[in-house]
Amino acid sequence: MRRAFFAITGLAAGTTALVVLKAAPGTGHLDQAVPIAAPSAADEPAPTTSPEATPSKARSPKPTRSATGASRSGAGAASKSPAAARSGAADPQPTSTILGPVVTNEFGDVQVRINLVGDRIVNAAALRLPRRTAQSDQRSDQVDSRYSGTVGMVVERQSADLDTVSGATATSDAYRRSLQAAIDQAR
Amino acid sequence: MPRRGAFGRRLLVVLFLGGLVASVLPWWRDTPTGSLTGATAMTTAAGQITGLVAGYLLLVQVLMMSRLPVLERWAGGERIARWHRDVAATLLVAVLAHVALILVGYAGLEGRSPFGQAGVMLREYQDMVSAFVAAGLLVLVGLVSVRAVRRVLPYELWHAIHLAAYAVLLLGYAHQFSNGSQLFRPGPVRTGWIALYVLVVAAWLWGRVVVPLWFNLRHRLRVSDVVVEGPDVVSLYLTGERLDRLDLLGGQFFRWRFLTRGCWWQSHPFSVSAAANDRWLRLTVKVVGRHTQDLRNLDPGVRVWAIGPSGTCTAAHRTRERALLIAAGSGITPLRAMLEELPPGAALIYRARTPADVLLQEELDWLSRNRGLRVWYVFGSRDDPGPRQVTTPDGLRQLVPDVARRDVYLCGPPGLVEQYRQVLRQAGVRRRQIHLATFAL
Ligand SMILES: Cc1cc2nc3c(=O)[nH]c(=O)nc-3n(C[C@H](O)[C@H](O)[C@H](O)COP(=O)(O)OP(=O)(O)OC[C@H]3O[C@@H](n4cnc5c(N)ncnc54)[C@H](O)[C@@H]3O)c2cc1C
Repeated sequence: MRRAFFAITGLAAGTTALVVLKAAPGTGHLDQAVPIAAPSAADEPAPTTSPEATPSKARSPKPTRSATGASRSGAGAASKSPAAARSGAADPQPTSTILGPVVTNEFGDVQVRINLVGDRIVNAAALRLPRRTAQSDQRSDQVDSRYSGTVGMVVERQSADLDTVSGATATSDAYRRSLQAAIDQAR
Repeated sequence: MPRRGAFGRRLLVVLFLGGLVASVLPWWRDTPTGSLTGATAMTTAAGQITGLVAGYLLLVQVLMMSRLPVLERWAGGERIARWHRDVAATLLVAVLAHVALILVGYAGLEGRSPFGQAGVMLREYQDMVSAFVAAGLLVLVGLVSVRAVRRVLPYELWHAIHLAAYAVLLLGYAHQFSNGSQLFRPGPVRTGWIALYVLVVAAWLWGRVVVPLWFNLRHRLRVSDVVVEGPDVVSLYLTGERLDRLDLLGGQFFRWRFLTRGCWWQSHPFSVSAAANDRWLRLTVKVVGRHTQDLRNLDPGVRVWAIGPSGTCTAAHRTRERALLIAAGSGITPLRAMLEELPPGAALIYRARTPADVLLQEELDWLSRNRGLRVWYVFGSRDDPGPRQVTTPDGLRQLVPDVARRDVYLCGPPGLVEQYRQVLRQAGVRRRQIHLATFAL
């Protein structure tokens, strides 16, 4: 029984120590909220300009569930990407890559990137999706697989008028907002 | 006789700790330093850690009950039972912490109350209903194993409830992979975790099915004789095939199943009470309850199913040349079996209520005449002057002046064994010189 007591104390102390170690303000600060990069386009996108889009910002300090869906979009401010990164001159049509704004909801951030040839959306990718829990990760995967890609719903519909993925309303919604802003910017 | 040291046991401890670290490692790798900002993230992280630890400990618990020969050999059945109990308490705390921390953490993330969150998880998250049931069962198993509760329950009832632990393994399985942040993504971590399950199940089948089948088909044990030793004590003699090939040490025990009406469904541990020989095995049983009562009336010819041998309270595990054995009541049986395997010069303190309660006296007398065994019989209950005197460090030293330089083997009721352990420590006997057999698993 004495050993059990030590073991339980050790469990508590060990868990606390691990958490505290990882909480210490340290270096490996970046990159964590952007696990998926969706590198489908050959040319890399224009530099994203939103400076506040770092993961440390991603945590919503007080997750509120307001009726509006609680999307505080970083709107226009985040999306002033210097629109087009042109690829080779051989291409008759202008190709461009546009970043949507970071849209934050209670589960995390959503940011969409689209590639256009002329006016036509040829590819869509989610640069950020909520991944904090396994559950939200799964929902994000569902949204991503339905909407994104060269044959996803975005390319198919050529608009932000997308069906909501059931069980992932908030993420679908945030995706549409970011996408809509990107489309507005393109046209 | 080759010695069996503590090497295997230490290796097991190292493996266990290594596995523990390895099971938390994926979390450590996935979590960038500095990413845990705020109480919610920290709570969730602690919930993940305790979850991984709990998952690992549950597998260790099942592995320890697998009767795998290598575990029985390196650690011994009694020690494994003690480890199992200690880990159980830790596992229970880890599971409760996991549930509470995850509920609070997720509730914070999604802006709900923890109870609301529990509802949402039950309804919307995959495999969470079975996971909650698993946690509930584990708490139940833990509750009935609290010593005070367990003592008032019939052993069979306690055992039946305890089997629910296997349901915990089953029901808790899926949610780890559908919701576990470290495990839901295909990859080496997930594969490794599944492999661990496969390994544990394989070990269980090996230790509980394959090895016993092999053993019992090979030796085909049967009851040959039931001999009355005293008012409440019988000896069972078993015969079988190839007994000369039995890898048995004096002091070890088997778990026995007597394949006759009313008995076959229960398995009880009894020590072998005579040194191994190629003709028979003997157990000496004190009647204390229903099953031991039934054993008294066994007919010759009844088939016996045995799992073992198990136990490290043997001459092969000694660290010194000479030994002191302390037996109380029917605790004499395993010690009797090891006497012939010890070097001459051993001493035995045998406590019994009255002279009539002394078991196997003729054999002990024979051993003291022929192998230089010194025997002290101490009669009375624990408050009588004789027994009181031999449960003090000074009293022990008077009888056995070099006690601190001997291995000491203790066998008897748990309370007495524990009392002696402390007295021996005070008398200067090092921990690894003390070998316990408590008749309680
Ligand atoms: C390693 C070991 C070696 C033992 N060697 C001997 C021996 O050589 N001689 C001897 O007389 N007794 C020995 N015992 C004790 C013996 O196992 C119990 O006395 C017997 O199982 C009691 O069963 P019962 O139904 O008659 O009594 P019950 O009244 O049902 O039980 C009495 C107590 O025995 C224990 N017990 C009961 N059933 C089991 C079981 N299936 N498995 C484990 N423990 C159980 C419980 O602690 C219970 O409280 C040994 C026990 C252990 C653990």
